[in-house]
Amino acid sequence: MDEKVKVADRGKTLEDLKQTDADLRLPSVVEPAHFPIETLAPEARQQTPAVGQRATRPDGRLHGLGQTKYIDDITFPNMLHAKIKRAGIAAALIKSIDTSEAEKMPGVMAVLTGNEIPVNSFGPSYQDQPVLAYERVFHAGDGVAAVAALTEQIAVEALDKIKVEYEPIEAVFDPMLAMQEDAPKVHPPHDNVYATKAIKKGDVEKGFAEADKIFEGRFSTQMIEHVPLEPHASIAEWDGNGRVTLWSSLGRITLGRADISRTLNMPINKIRIVGTVVGGNFGGKNEITTEPVLALLSKKTGRPVKMIYSREEEFIASTTRHPFIMDYKTGVMNDGRIVARKVRLVLDGGAYCSWSETTLGKACILSAGPYNIDNLHVEAFCTYTNKTMAGAMRGFGAPQVCFAYESHMDDIAHDLGIDPLEIRMLNAFEEGSLSPTGQVLQSVVVKESLQTAAERFGWKEFSK
Amino acid sequence: MTDVSMTVNGEERTASVPPETTLLTVLRENFFLTGSKLGCDVGDCGACTVLVDGIPVNACLMLAGQAEGRDIVTIEGLANQDGMHPLQQAFENLASLQCGFCGPGVIISAKALLEENPDPSVDDIRDALSGNLCRCTGYTKMIEAVQDAARIMRGESADEAA
Ligand code: FES
Ligand code: FES
Repeated sequence: MDEKVKVADRGKTLEDLKQTDADLRLPSVVEPAHFPIETLAPEARQQTPAVGQRATRPDGRLHGLGQTKYIDDITFPNMLHAKIKRAGIAAALIKSIDTSEAEKMPGVMAVLTGNEIPVNSFGPSYQDQPVLAYERVFHAGDGVAAVAALTEQIAVEALDKIKVEYEPIEAVFDPMLAMQEDAPKVHPPHDNVYATKAIKKGDVEKGFAEADKIFEGRFSTQMIEHVPLEPHASIAEWDGNGRVTLWSSLGRITLGRADISRTLNMPINKIRIVGTVVGGNFGGKNEITTEPVLALLSKKTGRPVKMIYSREEEFIASTTRHPFIMDYKTGVMNDGRIVARKVRLVLDGGAYCSWSETTLGKACILSAGPYNIDNLHVEAFCTYTNKTMAGAMRGFGAPQVCFAYESHMDDIAHDLGIDPLEIRMLNAFEEGSLSPTGQVLQSVVVKESLQTAAERFGWKEFSK
Repeated sequence: MTDVSMTVNGEERTASVPPETTLLTVLRENFFLTGSKLGCDVGDCGACTVLVDGIPVNACLMLAGQAEGRDIVTIEGLANQDGMHPLQQAFENLASLQCGFCGPGVIISAKALLEENPDPSVDDIRDALSGNLCRCTGYTKMIEAVQDAARIMRGESADEAA
């Protein structure tokens, strides 16, 4: 080797190099000189036994000081405030939208309707959701027009002046009815059932034939809103060079950027999204909502435009957790061993697909529970209804099916006179068990966990 | 427009606002004290909690005019050059906040409690925080942090058993 070339860190250990690297890193929150603190969080790259350690959050201090900047805490000179008019009718054809009175109001700077949006559809899997409904309303929370005004108050008043003429059409709200052939179609000409999945393992009919006893039950769960404490919020600024910057409470900014580029029909490099600290997401802020509307209002007015969802909009116009209707049929031997199970899931997807496919998939895979069942048949359907759309929410369908299979398990145990813990211990997964889709499971501690939990909360004493 | 004046975090402040303006709006938009948050605008969530003459109030429900001449304390009024308020320090140490949006309101409610009752029971704390919704944390660590802060404020050490 050329002796003149210096090899800088020869002789240093890997630990030294890691330290050099760590020293070069800036702390994620610059420590204010007048608030000296000792952080309880381990240093970056320092190997610590993580489990059992107390950890702080790097952003925790600013949260407690009230200094974290969420979208609504950000403001720009000349910023306008936007509001969206909601349809208030579940299914209708839009005959006309008259915004002229609103436009005349002092303080109203711009009005926007669906026909002005370059590509008026979006969605994370199917692009079945209009940014602003224009020809047809699919659920009552659909936006039909947007206003940008000097104050939020003026924008709200302007919404009242917008006249929309609807021709009501037949709506469908019950997912079971929506699945029937003659049900009114939510998105004609497409069928209401827009996603299905099936899992088959063994021979379920043979399993039922061999079983000592058959149990059946129907379980259903309701629609749930995420209710993040910070409502959906964004600010758009369209600059003179035709670039748009969006400050948004969006949780998936890369996906959102692609969706915004598609709806605005402009190259993605002209779109910049600044993801701020989010005041609670829980899956509800995983797709765009008002961003294209605000971008276009900003383009029209040449000013930054902010919009914050009201709490009501949060409930009617943002995604929710899918309501499920779950039919379970289980064949068991007298000793409590499960030999066959059939599951049928119907997911009420509401008006748009959103993250339904992901939810459907995960619900299907988990619907049999953490139990060894040789003969299994799961079928699942997701259907449109004229209701607020369901999307991602913590667990993607797992909590719904968990409620069903565990309730079903309790019913079986009760009927057979077996202790609910016993029946689970008898059937639960073990190291190397096969999941319903054939995955070999590792690090399985279901039984140990159940046993430990039962001991700790006094299951035996409780069930006496 | 009406003129309102009040003491905010020890300072005389005045603003000229439309009569329907809430205290929360004046604090956030006129005085740029954005620590108090708007979560629901109807008095359900407590994200907007501030102290008015020492009493926790939902600032989204109070008109600015009703605050005329009164003494307001917001989350920004708790820390000073010497350091954070013991509640803020305890909330940080225990990672009691996740997204943090509820935090300012929770800490203000807890401050009002500790001023009245320096040694609150868990039930007292739950009662005091019952007007503050948090969707992230499940409250457990907030309650621990209020207990820690109470101990510090009574001159004991934080981790002494209650
Ligand atoms: S914003 Fe005031 S209580 Fe929710
Ligand atoms: S920390 Fe998110 S709402 Fe309380």
